[in-house]
Amino acid sequence: MTPNESSRSFFARNQFLIYRLFSLSGLIPVGAFLVVHLLTNASVLGGAASFQSRVDMIHGLGPLLVPVEWAFIFLPMLFHATVGFMIIGGGLPNVGSYPYVGNIRYTLQRATGMIAFAFIIWHVLQLHWMGEPLGGGRFDPHHATSSAAEVVAPLAISLLYAIGVLSTVFHFANGLWTQGITWGLWTSPQAMRRANYLSIAVGTLLAAAGLGAIGGLRGTDTAAARAVETRMDDQRRLLEGQPPSPLSGTPAPGRPVPGRDSGAEDAIDLRSGSDLVPLLIPEPAGAVAPTTGPAPLSGN
Amino acid sequence: MSTKHNGPATASTPPSTGAAGGEPAPHDSGDHLALPRTIDVRVLRQDAPGQESYWERHAVAWEPNMNVISVLQKIAAGARAQDGRQVAPVAWDCNCLEEVCGSCTMLINGRTRMACSALVDRLVEEHPDGIELRPMLKFPVVRDLVVDRRRLFRSLERVKAWVPVDGFYDHGAGPRISPEEQEDAYPLSTCMSCGCCLEACPQFTRIETVRRDGETEEAFEQRRTAAFDRGFIGAHAISQAVLFNGHPIGKLIADERMEAVTDQGGIQMCGNAQNCVAVCPKSIPLTRSIARAGRAATMWAIRKIFDR
Ligand code: SF4
Ligand code: SF4
Ligand code: FES
Repeated sequence: MTPNESSRSFFARNQFLIYRLFSLSGLIPVGAFLVVHLLTNASVLGGAASFQSRVDMIHGLGPLLVPVEWAFIFLPMLFHATVGFMIIGGGLPNVGSYPYVGNIRYTLQRATGMIAFAFIIWHVLQLHWMGEPLGGGRFDPHHATSSAAEVVAPLAISLLYAIGVLSTVFHFANGLWTQGITWGLWTSPQAMRRANYLSIAVGTLLAAAGLGAIGGLRGTDTAAARAVETRMDDQRRLLEGQPPSPLSGTPAPGRPVPGRDSGAEDAIDLRSGSDLVPLLIPEPAGAVAPTTGPAPLSGN
Repeated sequence: MSTKHNGPATASTPPSTGAAGGEPAPHDSGDHLALPRTIDVRVLRQDAPGQESYWERHAVAWEPNMNVISVLQKIAAGARAQDGRQVAPVAWDCNCLEEVCGSCTMLINGRTRMACSALVDRLVEEHPDGIELRPMLKFPVVRDLVVDRRRLFRSLERVKAWVPVDGFYDHGAGPRISPEEQEDAYPLSTCMSCGCCLEACPQFTRIETVRRDGETEEAFEQRRTAAFDRGFIGAHAISQAVLFNGHPIGKLIADERMEAVTDQGGIQMCGNAQNCVAVCPKSIPLTRSIARAGRAATMWAIRKIFDR
């Protein structure tokens, strides 16, 4: 090997492994997270309750959530982005002279990588509690649909989200294809073509899920969603033995929920989430006489 | 005047789409006789390494069956720029004139290709306003269109692109290679080290080392080689490593090749733009080689990590 081995930097000596780890991190865990994240978000199309129950499941990790987030999402993403920027810095795109499909994809892969990076930082600060000092952190895990719907309500924000989501999805789907070449999964031109169909299918599915989530949030009746979420939140608190949230504006059992009368039944669609929502939800107003809160629990 | 003139025999007949067997109607609508008598050739010149480059125009009289080499020969014979100034002849490299030696690579109308197989009539068809010639961007210019492609050969050294058979003993006949294996290997063996794949590769960037004042030739060479060895080896070298690792005797040093292929500047630098395969004049399946080398590198890394 090189005679002055020790004089080379750590990065130079381990370039191959670092680049392979970079490639792997795009799929596991970053890409895997992206898939789960987009599919979870798409559940908003099934109604506020359906999305809320999935969010509750994730937040069921409790104190583990933060270390899990950092170990499996943020740190791998930062690693992928750091090496990614180094790779971009080392290349010299030339689509102008060589406008081939592969080359356009190569260039788009870099462009979408940078867009995705900027988008994800913005997105995290805007929704994740870490962004609170900056006026962000607007996602309320106990009011998943309504708080997210409020964020994307302005059309411009929705459009920015659509661009961000599509860039990220392209980067992932195209990365899937190049990754198969990098690791030697598909080697012949025919196999690469078949793999290309696979990556197009994955990309289309994820793009539909991502855009669907944005559309679903935009179509949400925020007040009705908030009512569903509040009820679910109260039940959660009940199960955990906490008092109902004083801030959540919980309607007393039996009191009509705001927005309930404005034809919001369709938007709430309790049926689709019924398998996930515990049976503790009070019957809609006007049905049976309201039971006192904890009663059904003791009945079991 | 052109032998491949395919316009309608009766020029007055309006072009009927589809009736001419899919042949598109010629867009120069009948004035074939007005083909350029002279060709405007723009050459990016440079007098010596490290000097400023400058454009120079040449008017070259058209002749049948010209290629870019014959254009350059005419420029050299005239040694006059378009404005009549006496200039030094433009320098270029060539040898075989039949696209097998790989020495005449240059940028013709912005795209890397072999000058000897670049036919002027075809070029004028694509770019009626003339021909633009530039030296390759990824190698240091020696003079005009001549570049120093030492790095390309250094890459072949790095991956030991040969069959190690030096020695004093008669080893007898080598192992048989099946026709299938031969068919697989043959295309890779046609590489002529032209460097087109490197020129078009967005991941292969130029490395130019300048000799310092008072530096000995040996010290300079060592420094230059070290700089090359930090850079990307390139598609051609990866493909040659695959070729020789597939050869029954070449295989004997397969590990050494894999060491080089996964060292700094190795296969990991490839960004899968697949320009290399698109521009290779020999149509070598470079991306197949790269993917095969990628698979071998995956196995090699697993072995290296877990077998020690
Ligand atoms: S596939 Fe790799 S070697 Fe070929 S042009 Fe692209 S980056 Fe360069
Ligand atoms: S692989 Fe093709 S383009 Fe590259 S040096 Fe060989 S012949 Fe030229
Ligand atoms: S002169 Fe040999 S390839 Fe062009």
